Amino acid sequence: MLDVADHGSEVRVTVTGTRIDAAIAISFKDKLREIVLSNRKPVVLDMRSVDFMDSSGLGAVIAVRKAMPAGLPLTLEGLTPNVERVFRLTRMDSVFEIRRATSEGQETI
Amino acid sequence: MTSTERQKAEVKGQVSMQTQPMFHRVLRAQPSSVRDTLVDVRRRFSQEVNDDTLGRLELVLAEVMNNVAEHAGADVDGQTASAMPHIHLCIVRHETGLACAITDNGISVPDECLLPRALPRNDVTDLPEGGFGWYLIQDLTQALCYYREHQRNFLAFSVPFGDV
Repeated sequence: MLDVADHGSEVRVTVTGTRIDAAIAISFKDKLREIVLSNRKPVVLDMRSVDFMDSSGLGAVIAVRKAMPAGLPLTLEGLTPNVERVFRLTRMDSVFEIRRATSEGQETI
Repeated sequence: MTSTERQKAEVKGQVSMQTQPMFHRVLRAQPSSVRDTLVDVRRRFSQEVNDDTLGRLELVLAEVMNNVAEHAGADVDGQTASAMPHIHLCIVRHETGLACAITDNGISVPDECLLPRALPRNDVTDLPEGGFGWYLIQDLTQALCYYREHQRNFLAFSVPFGDV
């Protein structure tokens, strides 16, 4: 479900599943929260593989942002159109730092 | 004319061959069944409608059916839902969008879900983690209507082809 790579200054977490939905939202939230709490570094969440997310998935991502150790950012990267839509419609795109897929994503701005 | 031809015949007695793609499924209200159904809906309409419409359809259906699953077995306002309601889902392609009808034998939908709805308060110091579902349903659908009859919920709406 989640691949973790420590890049020194930040931790890169790649979602390997294609869906963050009600079937896995709670385990997704628990696993990701454990990762951000144990690493205590800025986190980049690579979501380029995720082609579907519902409001329970959104709730899980929000919960993890709230669980970030004080002051450390959670950046979202590589949102696909279906995932971007949920952030946009709920106005959560104004709360999260969201950036296009970069370096390891073979995509440039 | 055979009986089948008669059923298909239009007013002038000509046989109509026009059919519209549709999808029908009865499923248990549980997240894994909802997921399987959504994957099949996507596959069913992938040749018929564009990705944007398909994405909006999938999100709306997920929110509606997850709500039923989430409240399964709940005891709300003195009503106890059956442990595992069944959902009947029917989707038909129309000229302007995808017409959807969803019924279930879960608990009734509270009035406030159907009233025009705002997003939960966006308090940066205490972000809401839920409460988005019905807002998304209302935002992404047209002609949303709901009634309850004989212990069943009936919800119907259209997901338009163009951007809402």
